[in-house]
Amino acid sequence: MKPLTSLMHSVWIAENDLRQSFKSVRHVVWSLLFPIFMMLTFSFRYGATGPDKDFINFLIPGIVGMTAMFGSINETMSIVWDKSLGVFDRILAAPVSSTSIIVGKTMAGAVMGVISALVLLIIGAALFGVSFTNISVVLLIILLASFSFTGIGTIISGLASEPREAMMLSNLLRFPMMFLGGVFFPIEAMPTPLPYVARALPLTYATEALRIIQTANSSMVLLDAMVLLAYTVATILFGSQILMRIMTR
Amino acid sequence: MENVIEVKELTKFYGSLLAVDHVKFEVKGKEIFGLLGPNGAGKTTTIRMICGMLRPTSGTAVIAGFDVSQKPEEVKRRIGLVPDVSNLFGELSARVNLEFMGKLYGLDKKTRRERIDQVLELFQLKERQNDLVKYYSKGMHRRLTIAAALLHQPEILIMDEPTSGLDAQTARLVREIIIDLNKEGRTILLTTHQIDEADRLAQRVGIIDRGRLIALDTPEQIKNSTQGMRALEVKVLNGVDQQRWIPIIKEAEGVDKAFLAEGKIRILSKNLSQMIPTVVNLVDKQGGKIENISVAQPTLEDAFINLTGKSIREEPMSKEDDVRRRLARSGLR
Repeated sequence: MKPLTSLMHSVWIAENDLRQSFKSVRHVVWSLLFPIFMMLTFSFRYGATGPDKDFINFLIPGIVGMTAMFGSINETMSIVWDKSLGVFDRILAAPVSSTSIIVGKTMAGAVMGVISALVLLIIGAALFGVSFTNISVVLLIILLASFSFTGIGTIISGLASEPREAMMLSNLLRFPMMFLGGVFFPIEAMPTPLPYVARALPLTYATEALRIIQTANSSMVLLDAMVLLAYTVATILFGSQILMRIMTR
Repeated sequence: MENVIEVKELTKFYGSLLAVDHVKFEVKGKEIFGLLGPNGAGKTTTIRMICGMLRPTSGTAVIAGFDVSQKPEEVKRRIGLVPDVSNLFGELSARVNLEFMGKLYGLDKKTRRERIDQVLELFQLKERQNDLVKYYSKGMHRRLTIAAALLHQPEILIMDEPTSGLDAQTARLVREIIIDLNKEGRTILLTTHQIDEADRLAQRVGIIDRGRLIALDTPEQIKNSTQGMRALEVKVLNGVDQQRWIPIIKEAEGVDKAFLAEGKIRILSKNLSQMIPTVVNLVDKQGGKIENISVAQPTLEDAFINLTGKSIREEPMSKEDDVRRRLARSGLR
């Protein structure tokens, strides 16, 4: 199959997935409500304009990274729903390569992660005046983070045989990552060995990079970006291997 | 007529479970071929392998000259698959579903629009084309599933249990559609566990049981395979549960098979003239009265029972068959 045709198949699969996700307004609202609620609760608790403005600047990048994580993993887990509802068979029966299917699903996950994170970023900027030195680098970090979370989503989708199992598996990863990824507390304040655990999580690098880019030069986030890129490559490759094995068995 | 589908010793193991065992058959061009068997017999697994959605453990299938193991995408281009359960995207409208399928099958924008209009018109779905599919009735779901399979105008249509779970009226409509599609020149391979459906629709039938193809011929020839066996239909009076009489009748001399079919006791025997007085006396001795007794021509179901030793409708599914059915239904895992 020609590379352009394969790429177009991926784009259509991603478009179809996203169309379904955005079709339901309730679905979009509910998925964004949790991070918005977290943002507002913590912000009002510590006061947006008081002496703890530093905390707001600390919190918002973490919430943005966390939202990318929820958005990407949720979207990629649609694979498990598609499998259980049989709609995945519809794509498998079409003349589409397994690689196109995986690329399409990955694209949809990453796009959803970026869009969700951007919504929170805009809310954070509008309500609390959070700003960044280089918005292009912010977008790059969000994109890399979204791809790495999508990779985690593909692994979960490959391992889970049905939606309930996927939900449990994803919660097993998402909630510890949310609390250990430096979203609400600095990892330096965590007791040993938790900082080491935090350093193994992609969310840690996403939140760290987004915080740095609020005040420092773009070059300071190079290491975080490299780690996120490595995570992206590793998780997507591993997730694809599992999905490919299932699709071509 | 040339063979359009050649299934060559297809075999599939799920772990240690043998789901399909060296299945071999051919389907001629413009033919309706029925794969008949009970739930869990291996029908769905067989067609998933034919469609290139499942890799066989051994053997292969050649579709329109393309080996499915080597050229799965060429095979998929030539097949329209109608699964047993409607698998369209419920959150999207019928038109958007068809648009997506048209794109995946490489139809350009203009052709896509024309074909979508055609199939929506053909299946009387035009008025509801913009409604979300999740709000469709079962019959509409089925019609849209067939429409989606026809969008790329495939030469071969593979239908898994096309009328399963449908009400009588919709099932009749689907059967009419199948006949019309065949008249248009399409080759149709359908699976069914409904004997009358295979009898009514298929020009040739393959009977599959526990993963093995045990008979392959025209329905008439398969019926003749009962080898001189005749059928007797008996209904016992007084509202007595007909099922209770089956073990009693089975014990009678000369009875080869006895089972319940459409509320009547059906008896297969090679010596029917001796059978009638034997059954009448037996029922009388047991305190029953015969409401109706008649001689019938052997049916495909009689042949099925003769071949497999069990009824396709009444036999409870074995654990092994259930595992086989679940594995096939689950698709990927």
